[in-house]
Amino acid sequence: MFMKTFEEKWTAWLDDQLTGKELDDFEASLPDKEAAETEKRDATKLGALLKQELGAQPFSNEEFFSHQLRERIARENAQDRHGGKSTWWTVPRLVWTGAVSLALFMICAVAVMRDKTPGERSEYLTQILNMRVDPVVSPNATVSVFETKGDRVTVIWTEGLQSLPSDYAAK
Amino acid sequence: MQTETTLAQADVSELDLVKRCQAGETEAFDELVTRYRTRIFAMIYNMVHNEQDAWDLAQDSFVKAWKSIKRFRGRSSFYTWIYRIVMNVTIDWLRKKQVKGAGVEFDDAIQLREVNPASKTLPKADPLPYERMERTEVRARIDNAITQLSPEHRAVILMKETEGMQYHEIAEALGCSIGTVMSRLFYARKKLQNLLKDVYENI
Repeated sequence: MFMKTFEEKWTAWLDDQLTGKELDDFEASLPDKEAAETEKRDATKLGALLKQELGAQPFSNEEFFSHQLRERIARENAQDRHGGKSTWWTVPRLVWTGAVSLALFMICAVAVMRDKTPGERSEYLTQILNMRVDPVVSPNATVSVFETKGDRVTVIWTEGLQSLPSDYAAK
Repeated sequence: MQTETTLAQADVSELDLVKRCQAGETEAFDELVTRYRTRIFAMIYNMVHNEQDAWDLAQDSFVKAWKSIKRFRGRSSFYTWIYRIVMNVTIDWLRKKQVKGAGVEFDDAIQLREVNPASKTLPKADPLPYERMERTEVRARIDNAITQLSPEHRAVILMKETEGMQYHEIAEALGCSIGTVMSRLFYARKKLQNLLKDVYENI
């Protein structure tokens, strides 16, 4: 047994755990061997006192103790079984349900986004640009287009139109 | 360290009981409880000095042992292994109590009011009244002295002196080094020698 400190060596000496050279060295290092021997006797007496007073103690109701423990363990086992089952079933289920839901959501979102994303030009703009504004009927006609792609808004501002051609209508 | 085994109990080896417990047999665990309940209860009682608390802590320790018995690999004896659980449960409880009570745990007057030392020490043959009183006083003095030790020092001195455990077994039970055990033992003995000198000198 490798002992570093004085406390460790002293304890080993009290408990008669030192032998041979270790014992000789330790006893030689003691400044007052007689006082140390007295303390050793005291420690032995203390040990005997503790063993006598605290050692063997009756344990009343030991059968009831075991009975109570059995019941508690049965309860804990039942809870564990219940808890274990639900863990086994719900955790994988939750994971799979979550993953499938996320995938469906992504697919739907992509599809909807594609449908809803306006083209480079709106239908109205295309119609107007395709129309030839008759310069005879509306010589000062101007068509301005304001488009904010981020907000998906297109404003078509027309001025100076005297009349609209009959086939010019938003569909 | 010898376990409390009767001839009938010795028929079934401890390892076999542990294996059966690991297979989920509560009857085998019941057998282990029967073997160790008295010593474990006494150990806890000597640490906490209250019968009800000792009862609850012993129950908690055995429940924990049952829950974790599958992790027992047999590197140490079952007794050392369960002692580690008992010590963890008890020392944690004492620490919490100490924090809650802000040092009340070490108040001598309160200890003497709370503890009924005679209840655990009366021999079966009724002693004479003065003998009973004397023993009650001795027990009260010892309990009072032990409450003045830290939970770790209590554990070490009780395991060494009342259980007769070896340093390495105590170290395993407390999860510390042998050197720490020896050092704690040194200080615990010194303190108890100072507090109980007149008691052991007069016996």
